Order: sequence, then structure tokens, then C-alpha cells
Amino acid sequence: MSVDLDHKPLLTHEIGSLDKPGWRVKAYAGQPLSDRDLEEARAWGERLKVPDYERLIDLLRHAPFSKEQKSDLQRWSSLYALKLEEGAGLDVVYDGEQQRTEMYDWAVSHSDGFERRGSVRAFDNKYYTKAAVVAPISLRTPFHNAEFSYLVSVADAELKIPVTGAYTIADWSFDERYDVDTDLREPAADRRRKRKAARRDFVLEIARNLIRPNLMALIGLGARWIQVDEPGASTEPDELDLFVDSFNASVEGLNAMFSTHLCFSDYNLFFPAIERMSQCRQFAVGFANYDSRELGTTDQARPGYHVIRKFADLPYKPALGLGVLDIHSDFIESPELVRDRVLYAVNVFGDPARIHVTPDCGLRTRSWEVAFKKLRNMTAGVALARQELGLKDPAR
Amino acid sequence: MASTRGLDRGRVNADAVEAAFAEDLAAFVRLQQKSGLDVFSDGLLRWQDIFRPLVDALGAAKPESLVRWFDTNTFFREPELSGALAGVNHADGLLPDASVPRPRVATLPSPFMFSRAARTDRDRNQLMVDLAGKVLRPVVDAAVAAGCQLVHLEDPWIGYFGIESKDWAPLREALELLHRDLRATLAFHVYFGDAGPHVDQLRRLPVDAIGVDLVETDVNELGSGWDKGLVAGVIDGRSSMLESLENTVEVARHLADTVRPRNLYLSSNCELAFLPTVVAEQKVQRLGEAAKRVKQLVSV
Repeated sequence: MSVDLDHKPLLTHEIGSLDKPGWRVKAYAGQPLSDRDLEEARAWGERLKVPDYERLIDLLRHAPFSKEQKSDLQRWSSLYALKLEEGAGLDVVYDGEQQRTEMYDWAVSHSDGFERRGSVRAFDNKYYTKAAVVAPISLRTPFHNAEFSYLVSVADAELKIPVTGAYTIADWSFDERYDVDTDLREPAADRRRKRKAARRDFVLEIARNLIRPNLMALIGLGARWIQVDEPGASTEPDELDLFVDSFNASVEGLNAMFSTHLCFSDYNLFFPAIERMSQCRQFAVGFANYDSRELGTTDQARPGYHVIRKFADLPYKPALGLGVLDIHSDFIESPELVRDRVLYAVNVFGDPARIHVTPDCGLRTRSWEVAFKKLRNMTAGVALARQELGLKDPAR
Repeated sequence: MASTRGLDRGRVNADAVEAAFAEDLAAFVRLQQKSGLDVFSDGLLRWQDIFRPLVDALGAAKPESLVRWFDTNTFFREPELSGALAGVNHADGLLPDASVPRPRVATLPSPFMFSRAARTDRDRNQLMVDLAGKVLRPVVDAAVAAGCQLVHLEDPWIGYFGIESKDWAPLREALELLHRDLRATLAFHVYFGDAGPHVDQLRRLPVDAIGVDLVETDVNELGSGWDKGLVAGVIDGRSSMLESLENTVEVARHLADTVRPRNLYLSSNCELAFLPTVVAEQKVQRLGEAAKRVKQLVSV
């Protein structure tokens, strides 16, 4: 991570996922493409000024697709997503995880030790696939290298790689290896003790044997900023020390900027545990989901952001990736609303260099149209905040 | 799943989703029949969370905020229940489908949990009593009229977060509103936590049966000589490991012998929505096998 970027006041970035375009999903699944799909590819290619997008349109007209062509289509999808983020004016970008199945499934399906069990609901009509750990865990093959190498070759902006964290992988998995001898006739306290010890073994094995070698492979390819995604981190409030231990075991001694992403939790729970996460240079945290949509920079106007004081007081002074876009709603936050959320945070932190500006979480639950509008308004809102703060709007 | 996901993305039409729901429900009913279950559920297959159809029926504001469902990776839309509470104005989507065999179970949020999980500017205990009288009771009556002999109130809140001592009396008041003159069995099921510390208070609630999560609760803390039924959560709805039949039967026998509830119901410790369908099906079958074996042993 360059020193300049690390300290750029009000730096903007996306969190991770974007929806996959219809043409990408259908083509990959071997389903017929409609004129609407082709028009979607053409319109976004033109709008985002994707280089040579006509080649994609031509390719899409030639179904069925070979394995190599499907890989090519995934890369096109990556390029489109990257250009969407660059086109929205973000300082730091990635590809909306277009080449991954999903943040959890992608990780476990490239690992040894897991078996898929099926899908469950996350919320509304959103589902995710769960696996069970059944054997010793190891990295089968570094699973972000190919996408990262490709993105390095096509990105104009800085890259930040989202990597699913050890705690979340464990939390979203079933355990069929570490804690298997449950007998309900045993005292419940004994069962709980065994479960806790088994859980620690499980999480730390993922950190050491899966995440860490994957991070090392990315750093070997030149990765400078890696975001360890931990949406499950606060799921078990009595395991926050374990979450911190797993982060530290994953990144300790490695040479890159590491950050983490947390969302949809009672963030008060993270304190004081994360005081020990000194290698975490940024916490990207979702707040907009809990906030009012009214304008204003007072405590009363910003009920979703009160907890940021605790992040400001962390002794190792990390940046805060301030979630300002509700990713579960099509509501388009105005630039003025983004501005006020940012100004509130800057006032609390007293230092705009410690505030980065982001959506609450990955935008994959929104259409590209909505995601693009939200992101453009986010960068417009940051420009308004810079103006208000008298900051220069530096060229990327 | 594929249909509802496709519907959201405009790739599947509503008729296809309806057909998929009907197919899934029919399969779930067949599974329950094959497993020998005594009371039949529609699995709340259409419910996106435990509050959503009730909030719709209330005509309350569309819930926006997503909140984590206790310590799971599942989220619910926080009901917005500020201001005066209107009664439910219809029971659409709240009752088991006509294809579900009788006797049926109606599963609903407990008024305590509902009042705590909602966003509100009101006193939560008053909200709880209002929810019981104006929202849940009309739905319970409609469910009983539709063939539900068991009304199952889910309360993970008490198990997970606990309850203040001052809140037991309003809870009893709320449950009394649901239990009075009810021509069905009313069960109050505490899960996602240890029911042990609450057993004495739970046994004093005006309901017919108390449910406990035995993954979290010590069987030896349940006491003995119950004058209520016990819904014993012996199947772990959060683990993909299939329970041993022998172990499950032994636990059930132990409960029958020591707790001596008025009726013993074998159940999962929580909803099965946290399990992939194929795993949940195995658990339902195991539940049926265990119940069958226990019945044989008890009848000997």
C-alpha cells in the first residue's frame, strides 16, 4: 500500500461484491441469451467506456461456449465491474467478485477438508451455500491469484482485494470434525466447554492453513491492500477474542496493508477485543442501514453513527471505512446525505485522513443501475465534504 | 430457492414461483407423513422471516432495517411498530395451506420476542400485551378454525438475551390473552439458550406446554413433576450432524421418567431453516424414528 493512498483523506472504495450481469450468469450456465442480455452488455459497455466491448457482444452471439470462452466471459464481467467502479469515481477498486461464485462458497470449494451440504436463507430471497468441515483443512490452490493477476493488467485505479476471513468461514460452516460427540445427557456446561474448544481449533486451523497461505500467494503477486471480510465476526459475542486471534494469525508478519470489513452487527460488541488488532489499518464498517435519511451532522441527525467514537479511540489509530450507502435498499442516498454522514465522522475523528468512505457492504443485492447511482452519489458526496472541509480534491 | 431468487431478478415469473412453492410444500408434507409425525406443519415456507406476514397483515410500515437473527447468519427485517397498534385486518399468508393434513401446528412469534425485536417508541411490555390481544389472538383463532390443534410460540429472546424479573408478570398477562378459552394446545418454546435459569417462571406461564432447547439446557435442570407438557428440543436445528437414534431415545426416556410432563412432545430445538433441505429432511426422519421408538417403549 502506498503511503499516499493510506493517508488520502476521504479515500473512497467499494467493499466487494456486485451483482453478476444477466449475460454472464446465463452464458456461464449454458442458458440461451436474449436480445435484452446483449443490449445490456452493449449499453453498459458503451456507458462505462469498456475497451473493445464490441468483442464481448460478438462473443455472446456465438453460444454454446467452450470452457475457455466461459473463462473469457468471466474476465469480461470482471472488466465491466471494474470499469463501473472506476466510472463512479472510486479511488480504490476491484471487480465486484465477478469470477467467484460467492464469498464463502468460493473459499471452501478451493480448500481441502470441506464438503458442500446445501443452501440456506440469509434474508428475504437471498441464500448461500453451506459446507461442513469433515477433514484436515488446507489450501488446495491459491484461489484469488488468477483474478488478481488479470485485474492488475486492466485497472487504472488502485486495487484492494477482498478475502473472506477465517472466523466467518468457520461460522458459516457446519462442524462435522471438531465437535461431533454430542450427548444431551451430559451436563450442558461440559458440552458448552467442549464446543468452545472445538470452535477455537476450527477457526485457527482455517486462519493458519487456508487464509494465511492464500494471502502470502497474493502478496507474492504484488498485492498491497488486502481486506479480510468478516461479516460473521460478531455473530457469537463471546467469541470476539477468537475472531481477533484468527485475524492476527492470518496476517501476522506479512507485508501488506490489511483491513477488515464488518457489517450488520452491534458494533459495541467489538470493544475491547479489537484493541488487539493492531495490524488492521482500516475497519470498513456498515452504518447507513441503521441511520436516518434526514440531513444533518448532529448526533441527533446521525443515530447510526454514534458508535464510531469507539473506533476513533482505538490506540493504534486505524482508518475507518465509513459505510454511507444502505446496500439493502434501492433508496439512492443523495450527495448531501453522504456529505453529512462524512462530516459527522470527520468531526468525531478530528482527522479526515482517518476516514475512508464506502458502501455498508457489497452491493450485489442491487441492480447495476442502482449500484452505479449510489456509488456516483457517494463520490459526489465526498467531493461536497472535501469542499466543506477545504480539502483539495487530488487527482487519482 | 432458485425460483424466488429468479423472481427477484426478473428471470422467473410468479406462476413458476407458485408452482415451486406447491411442489416444495407437497414434498414436505409427504416427508412428515412418511416420518410418522403427529402434527403437521407447512414449514413456513413462504415466510421470509417470523414477523413478515404479521407485519404485512398489520398494514404496518414496510420494514427496512435488516437485523441479525440472534447468533445465526440469518437476518430479519425489523418490524416498525411505533405509535398505536392496529389489529390485523386479514390472515392471508398466515395460516397453513389447505393441503397440509390435520392436525396442524401454527407457528408464531411469542409476544415477548415480537415486542423486543420490533423498533418502537412504546413501552415494550404494553406493546407485548397489545400484540397478544390485537395481533396474535385473531391469528390464533383463525388458525384453530383452520384445523390447528397446536399453537407454537417461538421465543428465542428469553433463551438468548434473558428476561428481567419485572417482565414475567406482563408476559403472563399477554399469554393469558392467548390462552383464555383456546381450543388448542398452546406451547411456549424457549430456545437459542439455556432455559434452566427460567424453569420455575416458565412453569408458571398460562400455557399448556413449555419448549426447551436441550442442546443448550441441562436435562437435569428441568425439575420433575410438571403439570404442563414439555416440548423437548432434542434434534439440533443448527448442526448438520445427524443425532444418534439411541441417544435421542434415551434422552426422551429420561425426560419421561424424571420430568414426568403431562405430555412429552419431541421436537427440534429450533426451526430447521438453518439447515439445507436435504439435511433438514434427515433430521425430520430421525425425529419420527425416535418418537416411534419412544412410543413403543412407553406402551410396553
